[in-house]
Amino acid sequence: MSNLLTHLIQQLQQDRHTSLQRAVRHTSLRRAVLFTLLLGVAHICALPTLLAATYTVDNLPIPYLQDKTQYVSNPDNILSQTAVDSLNLWLGQMEDEHGVQTVLAVVERIQGGETYDFCMALARKYGIGSKQQNSGLVILLSTGDRAYTILTGRGLEGTLPDAICKRIENRQMLPALREGDWDEAMLNTVRAVKAYIDGDDSLVGSSDFDDDDDIGALIGFCVAMFLGLALIGLAIWYDNRKKAYCPSCHQHTMKKISSRVTKNKRLGLRTHHDTYRCTHCFFIKELHWDEDIRSGSGGAAAGGALGGSFFGSGGGHSFGGSFGGGSFGGGGASGRF
Amino acid sequence: MKTSFAKQTVSSLQGRVKGGSSLLLAFFLLFSLTSCTYNKLVEQEEVVTQKWADVQTQYQRRADLIPNLVNTVKGYAAHESETLQAVVEARTKATQITIDPSNATPEQIAAYQAAQGEVSQALGRLLAITENYPDLKANEQFSELQAQLEGTENRIAESRRIYNEAVQTYNVSVRKFPNNIWAMIFGFDKKTPFAAEAGAEKAPEVQF
Repeated sequence: MSNLLTHLIQQLQQDRHTSLQRAVRHTSLRRAVLFTLLLGVAHICALPTLLAATYTVDNLPIPYLQDKTQYVSNPDNILSQTAVDSLNLWLGQMEDEHGVQTVLAVVERIQGGETYDFCMALARKYGIGSKQQNSGLVILLSTGDRAYTILTGRGLEGTLPDAICKRIENRQMLPALREGDWDEAMLNTVRAVKAYIDGDDSLVGSSDFDDDDDIGALIGFCVAMFLGLALIGLAIWYDNRKKAYCPSCHQHTMKKISSRVTKNKRLGLRTHHDTYRCTHCFFIKELHWDEDIRSGSGGAAAGGALGGSFFGSGGGHSFGGSFGGGSFGGGGASGRF
Repeated sequence: MKTSFAKQTVSSLQGRVKGGSSLLLAFFLLFSLTSCTYNKLVEQEEVVTQKWADVQTQYQRRADLIPNLVNTVKGYAAHESETLQAVVEARTKATQITIDPSNATPEQIAAYQAAQGEVSQALGRLLAITENYPDLKANEQFSELQAQLEGTENRIAESRRIYNEAVQTYNVSVRKFPNNIWAMIFGFDKKTPFAAEAGAEKAPEVQF
């Protein structure tokens, strides 16, 4: 590759010498060809990085946020689907029974190549684990960097001390990693971690913190949404009835006949001047009402947004998870293979 | 004449009352501002003290690990006594320095950091020579001890980072106007953060 480049550069230099004698037209043509060649070389250089993405903390997908049953981030499809399903099942049990929130990521390459730094940055970004227990857990394997880390939250340092993490890595993970059996390595590791977590009764499940389970939360959400929508509907109906009220003949027979809008940019207000005429006695009334431009139109937008979020979350069968804000002090163990 | 005099007295009296009340208001505002600033500074200073305690805990944790590590290495590499001795000495020296964070001078912090830095360097040399002993490296107990040591180094780095953040927040408060006036009156001094470890700015050498 470097030979080719030096050759090209030499040619460019030669080209510069001869161009003094030749016509300008020829030089520009040759330059264009060389430029295209160089561009091609640059493309070939960039190809491997395009094929396997190098992950940063910001672009590593976290499926858990969309679906709280998905703990495993497997963007390069290094693990088989069967293994991912088993891992998700076990990690789900760990969260339900012991409140241990895990992110397990298996990738080809990470930026910097240091799995500990990556895990720490990931944990800091999302606040993995509950705030009460600080029971977050990050397991990362970067197959291209040939490095791995188990990172424990502050609350897990007693259950999974550094030495135990190292023991799990040495006994369960390493033998499989050396054979390139990524599935087996991760399954063994999580199985061993789960055994230690299950043995600690001081860790309490996530359901002990907030009593309402998913179904209860869903029903509560629906009821609140229904009441909210009913209230908005009632308010709109009442508002329209008030507008249609005729002060002269005391009937609700007013119709809008014209409307004008004036703006006051300094105050951020849009004033509506509506004229109503009674269809019964032809009495005319003026209504003026202000609208805050900065916050947008209130009722309709809020109603739309609420409705949208309701239908949006109603579509899927399971909800996205959220991280509890647990903190990490740097416990755990890392290694290379 | 008489009435105008009376009027004058009344108006000057009113003026004085007005002036008095605004002065009182100013005092009240000043006091509430001061107490607010003072309380904030106390709170932030407490946070700094607590974070310093965390840093010391982690250094202590490392010091506690060292005897065990030295004994394990001794079993496999007894003739490396010089390196082992250096670690033990550095540890003894470092554990003698303890710092009261509420009135630590920058020099004290620097001395503490230097002593702990020596421990780090001695430990680094010890771990480097263990590379020459395959039996030792294969020993599970040593591997786990090494993992504990690494974890502790990570914890030290993390607690130092958090301490420095707390110091920065506190220092910004102390130096901002008008807080700096109250800080001066009540004696809130700037605190010293950890400097980067000597040699930390050098990128690690890669050899093939």
